[in-house]
Amino acid sequence: MSVSASAIKIEKEAVEVKISFEDLLIDKNEIGISLGYSAGKTPSYFMNMVDDVVKKLSSLCQPKAGYKIFDIDKSIIKPYGIYIENAFYKMEKIITSQIKKSDKVAVFVCTIGPAMEMWSKELFKQGDSILGYIVDTVASAAVESTADYLHNQIENSVQEEEMKITNRYSPGYCNWSVSDQHLLFSLLPKNFCGISLTGSALMMPVKSVSGIIGIGKNVKRMKYICGKCTVPNCAYRPYYLAINKRRLAKNNN
Amino acid sequence: MNEALITQIGICIEKGKVNKASPYPGDMIGQEGSDELTRQALSEGIGPDLILQACNSGMQRIGERFSRNEVFVPELLMAAKSMNAVMAHLKPYFQTGTVKAKGKFVIGTVAGDLHDIGKNLVSMVVEGNGWEVIDLGVDVKTAKFVDSVKANPGCIVGLSALLTTTMANMAKTVQEIKNQFPDTVVIVGGAPLSTKAAEQMKADGYASDPQGAVAFLNKVSRN
Ligand code: B12
Repeated sequence: MSVSASAIKIEKEAVEVKISFEDLLIDKNEIGISLGYSAGKTPSYFMNMVDDVVKKLSSLCQPKAGYKIFDIDKSIIKPYGIYIENAFYKMEKIITSQIKKSDKVAVFVCTIGPAMEMWSKELFKQGDSILGYIVDTVASAAVESTADYLHNQIENSVQEEEMKITNRYSPGYCNWSVSDQHLLFSLLPKNFCGISLTGSALMMPVKSVSGIIGIGKNVKRMKYICGKCTVPNCAYRPYYLAINKRRLAKNNN
Repeated sequence: MNEALITQIGICIEKGKVNKASPYPGDMIGQEGSDELTRQALSEGIGPDLILQACNSGMQRIGERFSRNEVFVPELLMAAKSMNAVMAHLKPYFQTGTVKAKGKFVIGTVAGDLHDIGKNLVSMVVEGNGWEVIDLGVDVKTAKFVDSVKANPGCIVGLSALLTTTMANMAKTVQEIKNQFPDTVVIVGGAPLSTKAAEQMKADGYASDPQGAVAFLNKVSRN
């Protein structure tokens, strides 16, 4: 089923959100940060490549996003895990502390499809590793932005029912095992949004994101979460902090 | 002998200047790159070993700047690309054995994992540093790694994984290589890896980026 975002109600069915390339916010400076440079310091030769790739993105990225809402039984939430549909998901308190205040949980997935990935692969095959790397980095930014859009759409739709939402949390982060992807995907229709899961819990297309978002009257969406997390050496934290430092600087200007 | 020419080839490597037509780097536009200069050096009778030496020190300089966070993966890749232009001219000398690669590096993304960008970047940079790279691709089963070690005695093996779920397959591969070829050196990498994870799976090394892989290989090959 496909509905326009504004028509979303808290439904029990899996909902595919209409989303197009124009809905995505691609910040070229953030892409520069992902390549390693500090804000505004990306050499122009690489920045021009980013520009060219971003121009091609409109025809190569096919964003799809969807979710399904489940009730959660608050009484059976353990300190370090939650139950959705009778299956237990072990995770950090940083997630459960938010989810336990929620009344419902949205299980979501999103993707930009396989075309960018294939382009990057092809470039590496031809020996153009730099452009291949930049295509991959732009593709990652596009799927993050797809997740942001979905997140905002869910927020808008529940506001109509005077509910709020939490941050989004994904298997593989905050001590939530990637192998729980199998459980999570069993809650969604097969091949939902064109995403499938391999035996080793890898989503195909690769440029996809999955996770949960809590919904309730007493929850809130916070700016920072990495600061509270106790996972040692998470590979995501430096990336998250670099991106957020820039966002903060922007807000202060 | 044309010392200035040799030095300039090293500078082209460090700065990622491939050829005259290349607009990179901005401060060398219109100048000849490693491609033209190597051709000229060979025609002047300069030995390929001297050219290679200059390239290696160029690669080392960019590697050191990377380690100091002055440059990032794109610059490393430009340097590797400039190096590939030199290698194209030196190929005949490798074939006749006049000059030799530093060693063989077999690399692949482990079984169950289809992600290859990180592995590709490591391949490129290691190759640019004078190693012969044998890239087995993605979703590489243990048996294929073992066969490749058998076929390339003395090679060093690099394994890449993207997720903790596929890191489990990596551990099995390390174990099997070590069972059959205890002397083979194995280095692992990829986002979920760490020095600790590498130790736990009894790999010989871990590196978080392509330059770390090069530093490890150079250290091992010197011993
Ligand atoms: C961008 C990103 C994404 C993007 C793109 C993913 C992709 N790989 O294409 C998107 C948003 C789609 C994504 C999704 C997910 N991601 Co992600 N992602 C990242 C992030 C921030 C950067 C990864 C990246 O592209 N780096 C650039 C490439 C070039 O680097 P690389 O592949 O790591 O390779 C480098 C090094 O590792 C090293 N290297 C690689 N191989 C080798 C081999 C050897 C021998 C050596 C020496 C070195 C080496 O050198 C390379 C060049 O520098 C990392 C965190 C981080 N900072 O690494 C998380 C990270 C990889 N993601 C993670 C997770 C969990 C996920 C998801 C499962 C989340 C979810 N539930 O949706 C999904 C999985 C997607 C799927 N298809 O199944 C985890 C994985 C750890 C784990 N728990 O398993 C990480 C580490 C974040 C974390 N929690 O710490 N992700």
